Amino acid sequence: MNIDIFLQQLVNGASLGSMYALIAIGYTMVYGVLRLINFAHGDIMMVGAFLTFFATSAGMPFEVAVLIGIVGSAIIGILTDKIAYKPLREAPKISLLITAIGISFFLENLFTVLFGSTPKAFKAPEYLTKIFHLGNIYLPISVIIIPTVTLLILAIVLWILYKTKYGMAIRALAFDIQTVKLMGIDADKIIMIVFIIGSALAAIGGVFYAVSYPSIDPLMGIIVGLKAFAAAVLGGIGSVGGAVVGGFILGFTEIFVVAMFPELGGYKDAFAFFFLILVLLFKPTGIMGQDLERGRF
Amino acid sequence: MKKFTSMVAAAALLGGIAYAKDVKIGVVLPLTGNIAAFGQTSKGGLDIAYEQKNTLSNGDKVKLVVVDDRGDKVEAATAVKRLLDKDKVSVILGEVASSNSMAMAPVAEKAKTPMITHASTNPRVTKDKKYVTRACFIDPFQGAVMAKYALDNGLKKAVVVTDAKQDYSVGLSKAFKKAYTAGGGEIVKTVLINSGDKDFNAQVATIKQTNPDIIAFTGYYPEAALMVKQARDMGIKTPFIGADGVGFPELVKIAGKAAEGFMYTDHFNEAAASSPEAKAYVEAFHKKYNKPADSMGALAADAYGMIVQAMENCIKAGKASDDKECINTNLRGTKGYKGITGVITIDENGNAVKSAVVNAVKDGKFVYKTTVNP
Repeated sequence: MNIDIFLQQLVNGASLGSMYALIAIGYTMVYGVLRLINFAHGDIMMVGAFLTFFATSAGMPFEVAVLIGIVGSAIIGILTDKIAYKPLREAPKISLLITAIGISFFLENLFTVLFGSTPKAFKAPEYLTKIFHLGNIYLPISVIIIPTVTLLILAIVLWILYKTKYGMAIRALAFDIQTVKLMGIDADKIIMIVFIIGSALAAIGGVFYAVSYPSIDPLMGIIVGLKAFAAAVLGGIGSVGGAVVGGFILGFTEIFVVAMFPELGGYKDAFAFFFLILVLLFKPTGIMGQDLERGRF
Repeated sequence: MKKFTSMVAAAALLGGIAYAKDVKIGVVLPLTGNIAAFGQTSKGGLDIAYEQKNTLSNGDKVKLVVVDDRGDKVEAATAVKRLLDKDKVSVILGEVASSNSMAMAPVAEKAKTPMITHASTNPRVTKDKKYVTRACFIDPFQGAVMAKYALDNGLKKAVVVTDAKQDYSVGLSKAFKKAYTAGGGEIVKTVLINSGDKDFNAQVATIKQTNPDIIAFTGYYPEAALMVKQARDMGIKTPFIGADGVGFPELVKIAGKAAEGFMYTDHFNEAAASSPEAKAYVEAFHKKYNKPADSMGALAADAYGMIVQAMENCIKAGKASDDKECINTNLRGTKGYKGITGVITIDENGNAVKSAVVNAVKDGKFVYKTTVNP
């Protein structure tokens, strides 16, 4: 592999990894406060991409469409929490998990019934799909924008968590919901904020995904959601920084397995998950995770 | 005793009078999921054929029981079981993807129920099966057509892209490689992908290093569209050639300008439709859907037509229209059936022997290039 190709692969990996990272943040935050693996999260990403697609198809400017996608996904996120998860707050965690899988199936099938399941072509504006040359390297502008925005969002999320009152409440919730309630904090409102942040990030991830791979269908969230979940576990579930690190590691692994062993390219998912198992063998809580019984971000 | 005899006589009489009944055809298609376009277009053609003829000469009504398998192997096999046990169908029509048909075939075979796949081209679908037939040509032929077309155009260095998850792609790659190297071409690299993947940048960067004359893509359209787009984005100008799995409007919709020049072999192109059967179908198709007739729909219509013909032959031979053994014998014995996609003759292995067309994308449309006979 010469240096051009290596650099090309590096940017590809960063771009793929940051999309996993954006979605993984939502997984990890919801897990942090509710101890719930929100399997519907990948589908929220799909919802974000679809809403944006419909808004652009209706003739709206791309920026407005993205905003609609983000707000719409946040609303769906709030609704799933209020309708499906809230009544089960005191129920065993397994009931919550099964409900999450149910919501996931519901969203996938709802969108299939409403909009059909043939892949739709996602139209991104010129400035996001432009390609420029750097010597022998071809860089779609998106591979620069996506990781940059991801890191920016990470900074904002960390700022919210550590510098704001709401952030403090979220971190407190992660320790003990009952005690936080006794302190006079509206736990449900804080949980709602977590769902808003998580769903909005998933929508952004979904839009980026659709810009990079302009074919969207109602089942697109399944495999991406699974990868993002793996990224969250790899980084240490419950840790926002860990989710981002996990996302990047997964992205690079996938790209470089194919780059170095093209004959094994068909097994890149297997390699990604093998890597996950390897890390968990030596560090069961993930790279940046701590003891599962202690709350943390 | 007398009473008994008269009852028997009455029963015999009743049996003798041909009461019109329903004959059920079970249809298994990927109507949702990753390759939904295959199922949707197949269903479109099937519906036209069904509307044109759904009553047999003895008055029996043909009924379609359509099941969606979401493009999944396990679901496909389960669907056949359900159709056999619950719906009691006499014939199975489907699937499109070879992997799914291969999951279905043993179930149909075990139940001694005739199954016809309209579009699965992998040879193993019908291999060693007595009850499985197909309305399409097989991959060794299709791969040879691809290889010949590439070589005839002076493209002598190929990279082969194989979808490791699809038996169709694995078989087709093998066939292409064999014909291509036999014809004097050189395979410089084989690259693996997985259906469902969306990121092929790593594979594309690898292909770029080898600088081939042609990229032989043997997978399906969702991956083809994204891969050709990513290749063009990375500055690769090498032409792509694919097979019947890529010729869908979604290829152009998703890849946009990047799809220009994408060549592929196919079963049918309405521009090459010359027989009265094909013309009538194309006309009905335009009237109903107001878009160009696709090959999956035409194949499904042909498979349906072959089933109906087999049933008619059974009636002529004095058998019931839902006699599975009789339908199967007639399906396997199809000779010179004048279908929409050409004249179909089934060989001793249950495979259709017929011609292929080569198409290419030009200005966002699928343009007919040539017809290749077996």
